[in-house]
Amino acid sequence: MEDFVARYGFLFVVILQQALLGLSLYFPLMTGQLSLASIGFYSLGGYVAAIMGTHPELAPLREALGFFMYPLEWLVALAASMLLGLALGYPALRLRGIYLALATIAFVQILGVVVLNLPIAGGAIGIFGIPQPFEDRLAYVWFFGPLLALTVFFLWRLERSGTGRLFFSIREDELAARAMGVNVTGRKVQAFVLGCALAGVVGAMSAPLLNTWNARQGTFDAAVACLAYVLIGGARSKWGALLGAALLVSLPEVLRPLKDSRMILNGLVLVLACVYMPQGIAGLFARRKS
Amino acid sequence: MSLAWFLQNLLNGLSIGSVYAVFALGYTLVFSILGIINFAHGAVFTLGAYLTYVLAVGEFGLNGLLAGVTLPFKLPFVLALLAGAVLSGLAGVAVERMAFRPLRKRGADALLALVSSLGVALILVNLIQYLFGAEIYSFPPDVLGDLPPAMLFQIGEEFVAVRTIQAVLFAVSMLMLILLVWFIHGTKQGKALRATAENPDTASLLGISVDRFILGTFFISGLLGGMSGTLIGVSFGLAGPYFGVAYGLKTLAFLPPELSSFKEAVAYALLFVVLLARPQGLLGKNAEEKV
Repeated sequence: MEDFVARYGFLFVVILQQALLGLSLYFPLMTGQLSLASIGFYSLGGYVAAIMGTHPELAPLREALGFFMYPLEWLVALAASMLLGLALGYPALRLRGIYLALATIAFVQILGVVVLNLPIAGGAIGIFGIPQPFEDRLAYVWFFGPLLALTVFFLWRLERSGTGRLFFSIREDELAARAMGVNVTGRKVQAFVLGCALAGVVGAMSAPLLNTWNARQGTFDAAVACLAYVLIGGARSKWGALLGAALLVSLPEVLRPLKDSRMILNGLVLVLACVYMPQGIAGLFARRKS
Repeated sequence: MSLAWFLQNLLNGLSIGSVYAVFALGYTLVFSILGIINFAHGAVFTLGAYLTYVLAVGEFGLNGLLAGVTLPFKLPFVLALLAGAVLSGLAGVAVERMAFRPLRKRGADALLALVSSLGVALILVNLIQYLFGAEIYSFPPDVLGDLPPAMLFQIGEEFVAVRTIQAVLFAVSMLMLILLVWFIHGTKQGKALRATAENPDTASLLGISVDRFILGTFFISGLLGGMSGTLIGVSFGLAGPYFGVAYGLKTLAFLPPELSSFKEAVAYALLFVVLLARPQGLLGKNAEEKV
């Protein structure tokens, strides 16, 4: 058992982290909008935490707050992500489907180049030596675990609230929802900003875990990986992101004995999952229920 | 900012831009028919470059499963380019069979094809790495035969250089564009293709075999992708199995040097603005959406 934890414990932490990123895509998907912007806000949140954790002028604040510096970083990342999310959401959510996905990817790329050129973000090297609250990497479960539980609980409440039902009405038929007097744009932006806020906080929690933060944290590949968690897991259920992240993060590790050909098989699993589970893993359970 | 400087940059931009146009047309063809982006297109681009390399040079690199294998023949560059492009077209057909057709037949969400085509891209890229190795391949300088490497033109007191390869890039790309426009607007097959893009159901009622035309579109798309991969590869070298993926995303913007580190940000900002202002594209006509 100890051997198992030593070998795969960190994988579990990464699964929790990636599942949270997947869930940040689920928020806009509740209104039927496919946004890939999350990874940009993840990067932004990470930079907020990295700068607050290492900037020399903030040293007195860090000493005064001690461990409570970390929650403060999360709050600042949350606020920054929500503000930027609002500013991006209003123009971008006029677009739908693949066009929205493209516009949000353009945003991610712009953000990547901008942080690469901002002196405070450390250029191509990025920021390193970010203070770590725990010595053991497994202890980060205490960051991501509660956040995941909180998010799932929040989603569970949201899906049963009036706001959640409005979200779903837009997903099922935008035109009908508009005809019923739903403020479609307002609701879409609301869902989008919730996703941005979550991604920002996950970024702020991840910066200490990785110890270093640079422009490579917010790439196109990572954005598509998050999308794959949601689609493979099931885009119509909050459990989908969790299942998808668990499968796709552990797959390359499970296939490790295959050495060089493991990524070929990884791609094959992606294709087969799309073909045989079009509703995602969560869709298999949903069908059984009905 | 002199005239020669302006002309030099204009020529550089035209040459590389025309290859991007051929590459992008591969995306556009599939998008216009299926309304979905084929993420495997960048991998087919890479595959085309590698296949042409092996056919033209006749041997594999030092790593990978096929290290040290030599072919009994070496094709002239033009033939290798064509053969590489046709093989890439077949790879495009395989992509359709694996990632798109099964989903279409099952009536799955169109967005899922993003992930399945990404899966095929992952397979292709890693297959290339497995077989060809991860090292850099570069075409030998005499691959085009005994042509001078560049021509110099004098303008006033300054020179404008046109690399031979730049001229080849531009000429081949233009030829492909003209052929494609002729095929789509000048032949009966092209007309059927346009009908399929307009409305697959009506097209199939009119006796057009929609599945065959989708397959054909993927063949042409792969052909264009593989050919542009070769052209970029001849010009800049093959920087490993992932190089097509980077080109698939990249757009080049032309900017003053002091802002050059922000050039990609400006290019993507332009993309963002264009999407907001004209989602149907710069020159596209607005399609009426029926309720």
